[in-house]
Amino acid sequence: MTEPSRRDVLKWSAAGGIALSLSRLPVAMAAAFDDTQTLPGRARPNPAAAGHGRIDAVAKVTGAKLYVSDFRAADMEGWPATTAHALLVRAADATHVLTGIDLGALDGDLKPTVVVTGQDLAQAGLKGPPFYAGDLLCPVGTTPLYLGQPAALLLFERFDAFDRARVLLREKSPLVFGAETGALARPNYAAMRFTRVAGPTPDAPDVYSPLMEGWISPGVFEAGGRPVWQPLPIAEGGQYKKGATYGEAIRAGIAAADPAALVLDRSFRTQSIDPMFLEPECGLAWYDPKARALRLALGVQSPLEAAEALGDMFGAAKEGVRPKSIDTRFAHLGGGFGGRDHTPFPLYVALAAIFLPNRPIRLAHDRFQQFQGGIKRHAFDIRSKVAFERATGRIRAFAADHVLDGGGLANYSASVAVVSATSAIGAYDVPKVDVTTVAEHTRGVTAGSMRGYGVVQTTVALETLMDEAAAALGIDPVTLRRRNLLKTGGRSMAGNPWTVSVRTPELLDKMEAHALWRGRAAAKAAAPAGTLVGTGLALCVKDYGTGADCALGRVELEPDGRVRIVCDAVEMGNGIGTAMANRVAQYLGRVADEVSVARIDAFGALGLVTSGDPYTITQAAQDKAAKNPRWVPAISSATSASIGAHVGTQAAGEAARILLRFGLWPAALAMWGIRKNDPRRFLWEEAYWQDGMLIMSGLPPLAQPDLAAKAHAMGALTGTMAHAFSRWAWAQAAFPLDGFNWAADLDALAVRRGKGPFKVLDRSFVAFPPASYNRIGTAFVSGCGTLVRVEIDRASGAVRVARGYSVLECGHALAPEVVRGQAHGGFAMGLGQALLENLPPFEDGPGNGRWNLGDYVVARGSDLPVHALEVEILPPVAPNEPPKGMAEVVMIPVVPAILNAIADATGKRFSALPVTPDDVRRVL
Amino acid sequence: MPAISLTINGRAHGPIEVRADLSMNDFLREVLGLTGTKFGCGAAQCLSCAVIVDAGDGTSATMPTCVIAATDFDGKAIRTVEGHAKDGALTPLQQSFISHFAFQCGYCTPGFLNEGQVLLERLEKAPIPRAELERTVTEALDGHLCRCSGYVKYHEAVRDVILADPGRFLT
Repeated sequence: MTEPSRRDVLKWSAAGGIALSLSRLPVAMAAAFDDTQTLPGRARPNPAAAGHGRIDAVAKVTGAKLYVSDFRAADMEGWPATTAHALLVRAADATHVLTGIDLGALDGDLKPTVVVTGQDLAQAGLKGPPFYAGDLLCPVGTTPLYLGQPAALLLFERFDAFDRARVLLREKSPLVFGAETGALARPNYAAMRFTRVAGPTPDAPDVYSPLMEGWISPGVFEAGGRPVWQPLPIAEGGQYKKGATYGEAIRAGIAAADPAALVLDRSFRTQSIDPMFLEPECGLAWYDPKARALRLALGVQSPLEAAEALGDMFGAAKEGVRPKSIDTRFAHLGGGFGGRDHTPFPLYVALAAIFLPNRPIRLAHDRFQQFQGGIKRHAFDIRSKVAFERATGRIRAFAADHVLDGGGLANYSASVAVVSATSAIGAYDVPKVDVTTVAEHTRGVTAGSMRGYGVVQTTVALETLMDEAAAALGIDPVTLRRRNLLKTGGRSMAGNPWTVSVRTPELLDKMEAHALWRGRAAAKAAAPAGTLVGTGLALCVKDYGTGADCALGRVELEPDGRVRIVCDAVEMGNGIGTAMANRVAQYLGRVADEVSVARIDAFGALGLVTSGDPYTITQAAQDKAAKNPRWVPAISSATSASIGAHVGTQAAGEAARILLRFGLWPAALAMWGIRKNDPRRFLWEEAYWQDGMLIMSGLPPLAQPDLAAKAHAMGALTGTMAHAFSRWAWAQAAFPLDGFNWAADLDALAVRRGKGPFKVLDRSFVAFPPASYNRIGTAFVSGCGTLVRVEIDRASGAVRVARGYSVLECGHALAPEVVRGQAHGGFAMGLGQALLENLPPFEDGPGNGRWNLGDYVVARGSDLPVHALEVEILPPVAPNEPPKGMAEVVMIPVVPAILNAIADATGKRFSALPVTPDDVRRVL
Repeated sequence: MPAISLTINGRAHGPIEVRADLSMNDFLREVLGLTGTKFGCGAAQCLSCAVIVDAGDGTSATMPTCVIAATDFDGKAIRTVEGHAKDGALTPLQQSFISHFAFQCGYCTPGFLNEGQVLLERLEKAPIPRAELERTVTEALDGHLCRCSGYVKYHEAVRDVILADPGRFLT
């Protein structure tokens, strides 16, 4: 995946002499804020202790201050008490030159204390990090780069002035535009081609694959920026030429008239949608000019990225506006869905504080502003060509072209393009694949990360094509899918096998056997007059992880047995705190009493350093860097890409395992009186927890608090702090512990004995996953199948999803009720994408600042089969199967299943989203 | 500036001078610091901002706060999410939300809690037949948006409080 190198970020903040608070002890104000984010908190009961609720549940039903939007200066210990307010003015025009900012409407009391413009930023040497290429504030004299680009930051000392100005400026923008320039042209974000030609047999090596030859990009573009996909006879781009030659041959093969093949050539369009997390983006900051200390409270999915981006922005700033230290704290999120991963919003919060020094200031989007400025899902145009063997139903070859609208600000567009390509053949085994994908720069609102990115769009195309092919071939839709499934050990389109359990046959079996599917003909026949009934299904596999994911986890055991977990993962509703507590409880016999999330500051003892870009590092560079025992490929990841269960809990889980082995287990041996030469001292994995007691066959059960007290008393481990890194496989390292050279799926470890401080251990051995794994598109996948029944009103064309069934597999479900809830929520979001939600591009879209709920329709309870939605979670393949990510995969098959059900009901196929009642009525 | 007085969670507030166009949501959040009531859309579409208004006749209803001026609440008695639990004891509906894992991010929870509580109190006064229960719950909660949960567990949580005490809520 492509991402600007972190090296630049670290270099800039280091050059600026800025200390990012990644390893300092919390100051008083931060400690108080952290208390609010540590749940359930000492004063509240913990429903998670007995599995009867989430760790954060009591705080959330009692209205506790939890989200960053709940905090004001007066809530922050050590801050001045009053809060100032900032207003970000965004451009609703990206085709005319910005000629001025007319604040004449704000007279008297309404006048902002400070107006910050693009010119001010330029004079101050303030510039956005490379990831968010483009001006932070559009300078006067320039055409805005995209709709919704900020052009001015207005700072108000009083809430009333801010509040009235906000309403006035919504009605009449202060931005003045002059001559028409048209949209600014910028290079597209990415243009890639993924081609694979399998060998003659499944066991034979591939003839050509991205894994073997590397990922390729054409390197030749038309004047308008569109890539030239043909293998041009030019010297440069030879590597591209080889892949493209195979790709064009695949396309020629599909196009060749062959009566033995069914060829479908179809176009699809998927729309832009808003993540619509319910808490609009917000942040609070205070710049203390005397101490040159910038303090912030933020709510993002990517805390380390946000902290580093701030360091980067100030790195080259002039003396007067460059803080010496930046201390950033992170709150629980009122939803995320990807839209708060790598968001530029925190940069504006920091700017507000810097330009109104000594005054705590709050920047908060209202919903109009969130629609205008928040990150969106990419709209896609897809053209798919697929050839099936008529005799067998097997897919012979597949080609597709994806065009993504990335909007005007660089974000995750390149990654979304790649993911869309590597997911284009879904759960299936296709010997010849050729996919081109281009993420275009447009003047549209920024598109970036959103739940299921790249895969939602391509699965809609693929799974509706599968149904159409099944009908054309006279093969049952489940049978056609089953015949084409990629089997365990088979190669994905990047050329690598999936390295986790592959459960797609079971998912198909479950759907095929379900009463909803078996009763589809009867339901259709029994449709009341004026109603059309249809049933549809779809299957999806979705990668979890990005290929460079990491986790920080700290587990502490108190003498009374209480367990405290601190982690860098963010709680945005995903239940990470509860999942983390449950995973740790497997080892420590007690669900955590406190979980503190989104903490990147609590791991200083590990002394981690990093360099290079984990996605592009060479093997030689990795080998060299790994010689430093403190080096890791990356320090902290965003909580995204469904990594919560698998990655997010890994460091704390492994830390807890070590705490059991070198803390509670030695305590148990001592309490049982087992001596040094007794072979039972190595049987720690045979002991298990039951009702807070450690059970070992033939020995008296031991109470967890007694063990904890003993561990403290005898100087055994009472705390572990760990870092884990995954590049489609865990980094492994060995650490010196009590005379052992202890190996774990971790790459850094610090331990605490008794009440002592954490001390880092030098790893005696480390094996990072090879750099060549960066060529893998997807190695970790989980699957979900969805079955829906729709009822369509002939007169109005309204589609009602009457029943639903989703079956999913996620390995060990750490918090099954959270998993079930995610599946329900995924169903609702999938239904919204299929039938309700739509953001038009450009001037009619959210960039114009006039969009809100009401125009934008999100599924309500009455839109859903709330009382007829069944979710089944397959049990893990083995008791020790690790958790697999599932939060994205559960929304994806819902969309094509609904389209397939509509086709079953109406006999008409829809290929553009959303399918509205008008669309349906037109074809009936 | 007009001054308003009102009762919030049983406690009298005011008179407090407010701008005539100050929203009730901002009065609660910015003036009183009662941030349990959320701001979601500012257009009365998501109802994460809804509070309970107790009428003098013993009936109650939810009302959005984001589009209604604070002055409109002058003299009224309202309840917010902060006021449901008494002395740390959670209400049956709060307990049910927890045990059903009803919410995820929790940002919409105050609105759902208020709406569900109003429904319970309404049914206590005017019980309904069992057969109307699911439809009644769906209708009652339908104004509230949740992006995380798909609503299933919220509906089950409200329904199960009612089913746990059928003599109180059902005919």
